[in-house]
Amino acid sequence: MTARRGGRPLVFGLVLAALVASFVFVEIWRDRVYGEPAPGDSVLYIRSGDALGRMSLSFTPLVADIYWIRAVQYFGGARLSALPTRRYDLLYPLLDITTSLDPRFNIAYRFGSIFLAESYPGGAGRPDLAIALLDKGFRANPARWQYVQDIGFVYYWWMNDYRRAGEWFNKAADVPGAPWWLRSLAAVTLAQGGDRQSSRRLWQALRETADNDWLRSSASLRLAQLNALDAIDQLTAVVAGFRARTGQIPTSWDALVRARMLSSRPVDPAGAPYVLDPASGAVTLGADSPLNPLPVGTQVDRPAR
Amino acid sequence: MHAIATENLTKDYALGFWRKRPYRALDSLTLHVEPGEIFGFLGPNGAGKTTTLKLLLQLVFPTSGRAEILGRPVGDAGVRRRIGYLPENPYFYDHLTAVELLDYFGRLFHLSSADRAARVPRLLDQVGLGAERRLPLRRFSKGMLQRVGLAQAIVNEPEVVFLDEPMSGLDPIGRRMVRELMLGLREGGTTVFFSSHILADAEAVCSRVAILAGGRLVASGRLADLLAFGVKGWEVVVDHVDDGVVDRVRPLADRMTRIAERRYALELSPEVRPERVLADLAAIGASVVSLNPLRDTLEDYFMRRVSEDGHQRQVEA
Amino acid sequence: MVLWAVALSVFRESIRDRVFYNLLLFAVLLVGAAVLIGQMTAGQDLKIIKDLGLAATSFFGLFIAVFVGVGLVWKEVERRSVYSLLAKPVGRPELVLGKYVGLALTLLVNVLVMAVVLYLLLAFMQFSSPESVRAGWEAPAADPALLKAFLLIYVQLLLVTAIALFFSTFAGPMVSMALTFGFYVIGHFNADLKHFDAVVTSTPLAWLLRALYYLLPNLAPFDITAKVVHGQLVPAGYLLMTIGYAAIYIAVLLTAASFIFSRRDLK
Repeated sequence: MTARRGGRPLVFGLVLAALVASFVFVEIWRDRVYGEPAPGDSVLYIRSGDALGRMSLSFTPLVADIYWIRAVQYFGGARLSALPTRRYDLLYPLLDITTSLDPRFNIAYRFGSIFLAESYPGGAGRPDLAIALLDKGFRANPARWQYVQDIGFVYYWWMNDYRRAGEWFNKAADVPGAPWWLRSLAAVTLAQGGDRQSSRRLWQALRETADNDWLRSSASLRLAQLNALDAIDQLTAVVAGFRARTGQIPTSWDALVRARMLSSRPVDPAGAPYVLDPASGAVTLGADSPLNPLPVGTQVDRPAR
Repeated sequence: MHAIATENLTKDYALGFWRKRPYRALDSLTLHVEPGEIFGFLGPNGAGKTTTLKLLLQLVFPTSGRAEILGRPVGDAGVRRRIGYLPENPYFYDHLTAVELLDYFGRLFHLSSADRAARVPRLLDQVGLGAERRLPLRRFSKGMLQRVGLAQAIVNEPEVVFLDEPMSGLDPIGRRMVRELMLGLREGGTTVFFSSHILADAEAVCSRVAILAGGRLVASGRLADLLAFGVKGWEVVVDHVDDGVVDRVRPLADRMTRIAERRYALELSPEVRPERVLADLAAIGASVVSLNPLRDTLEDYFMRRVSEDGHQRQVEA
Repeated sequence: MVLWAVALSVFRESIRDRVFYNLLLFAVLLVGAAVLIGQMTAGQDLKIIKDLGLAATSFFGLFIAVFVGVGLVWKEVERRSVYSLLAKPVGRPELVLGKYVGLALTLLVNVLVMAVVLYLLLAFMQFSSPESVRAGWEAPAADPALLKAFLLIYVQLLLVTAIALFFSTFAGPMVSMALTFGFYVIGHFNADLKHFDAVVTSTPLAWLLRALYYLLPNLAPFDITAKVVHGQLVPAGYLLMTIGYAAIYIAVLLTAASFIFSRRDLK
């Protein structure tokens, strides 16, 4: 009888496929029951970007990517977390490591600063750390005027410090290659910074210079919110006019439409109808409007001069 | 039942990296080895002897053809218990001593510890390694490794033993030891299949041989039969041939050479029956000192067949 | 039986090749670290000793698993000792499995001794630290929960060994070592593959990466050092499933290795 080669390929293939399917199944099951291991403690045992950089040998950019992914995951996980005490403590260290490993990691600086600056609980609520990150980015990339602009922006929007904001916009304008309108933005900010109109100009500028869709749509959202605020002001004026005329608070939008003070039921820029409170006459956004929560602060409430 | 049987056993190797050209290491080998005989498997280097052995031991797999050992297909699990193998240029495990190696291999045969304790020292003595049995194998010379190899080949008292170049690396004392070992095995009923390119050794022990060249079987059969074709004649040395009877002796032979005073060497042609000549010499009053066949040695035969085959190949190509 | 005989021969070779000298290095390292760190803030040194002990066990074990593992089959074939071995009633799959069990045994002894050394050191710290310091510890010094960490470290080493052995059935030691270490590194960053869709825009690519996440060995879950050192509970179910995953993965590798080796021409 011929000495046959050992092993039957077909049987082997089937057994192998069955085993592979089993361990994939076990893993999916385990992840579902016990959750995936959080990129928490074990990730940050080494906090020094330098040390990590040396350890990564020539894979540093890849390791930077991995830390960026973990930062995003961490941020998303914390943000979506239902816990009332969600924490963003590790966000800055993760971003710091990412940018130490790859100092040119653009979106890490830009997104990272947004995550950090955004007020709690939507973000870390640490505009100071956002500024530190952007500053680090600029020192590593002196041609990136966008980072300086972003710093100015953090001062403006989150810290309501218009003087510093204007100073930073000016510094951004000083960077070779910066667009011409930064200078006028700086001027406007210094002169009348802190009102809706200049805020609108700021967001428009940001939208024009956005590197990617996320920033662009973020800026568009802010602009829509500003428009909503304007609209609310106008609607409030209409309600006041109705009250002056009839001595009563309008019960609904229809009343105003019937009174020919409005052409139709008003809808916010996202398409959700405004809500009129029949008791107080206050106009607000619909509860499920995507524009919620509307920004508050002097940068939007101070009337234009 | 043959001890070993192959039928059109063929092995192709694929050479080359991109375009695989097949290299036929063994071409349609058909041979039989009977139980209890010493079979010599001969051929020049690269003839395919080691390939054949590996095919028989299922270290490589045949492209086509069949092979059986003791009536079972070569892959059969049970057969391995009853065979032994000495590879060419054997290497074992550096860190083990000779005793430990044989003990380990004995364990693989499921020999009991009592059996192992009895057999191992005996085998080592038999192959001449009694003194070095506790040295680690890394300190063994080639000849010593060869002896250990022989010992491990027979540790299970096999029915068939495969020896690849068993004499290699051994001094004359060692070679005699191997010869005696093989003869002893035959006496015990073991079949010995050994490959060699040292023809004198084969000539001394084999009952039958096969000659392989360029992957093909060139000749096989009993040694006596193969070499009978090459009998060139006889040489008779006679003494006490006085000058008077020289002339009566001369016509009995083709050639007569004087060796010493009254001693002559006679060359007889192959057709002449030596017994007749001896009788005639006795009648004349001469005394026979020796009678030797002048025949081809295996080497002559071998060279002839191999170069014939080489020419034939050139013609074919 | 034959498989066990092969396994014992691997174990014996490990002893004779002085593999276990790494235990001396381990002991010296750990005791030295304990002495040096003794000056640090009280309470911190316990965590560091535990972290160091577990990490060193994993690290030394990794080197043994890879350096010995890649040679298990390859050395036999290269040096041709495999010829006389396979002429005996040893099947090729038995040879592969026997080698694996042998190295598993070596690693078991290695990990056990390291565990004992670590526990001794921790017990010493338990007795020599004042009550006030001990109150600040998150977990007892000679914490039995550390055994869970040792267990998973050992199982992870078994998985790495299987990878090394798999490569050794057909590749030389340089290539095998590179690939095995490569898989080890990838295995630790595996979890990130699943979330690569955060940086990758093409959906088919993201799906491919997710498939890779499931197929490639996922080694990060074996590292429960942080949890155990901080005294957090590791459920038995988690241990079981992780070990189960490893067992099946190892079965895949050993089956493949046996298959490949069974079909090779040993020229």
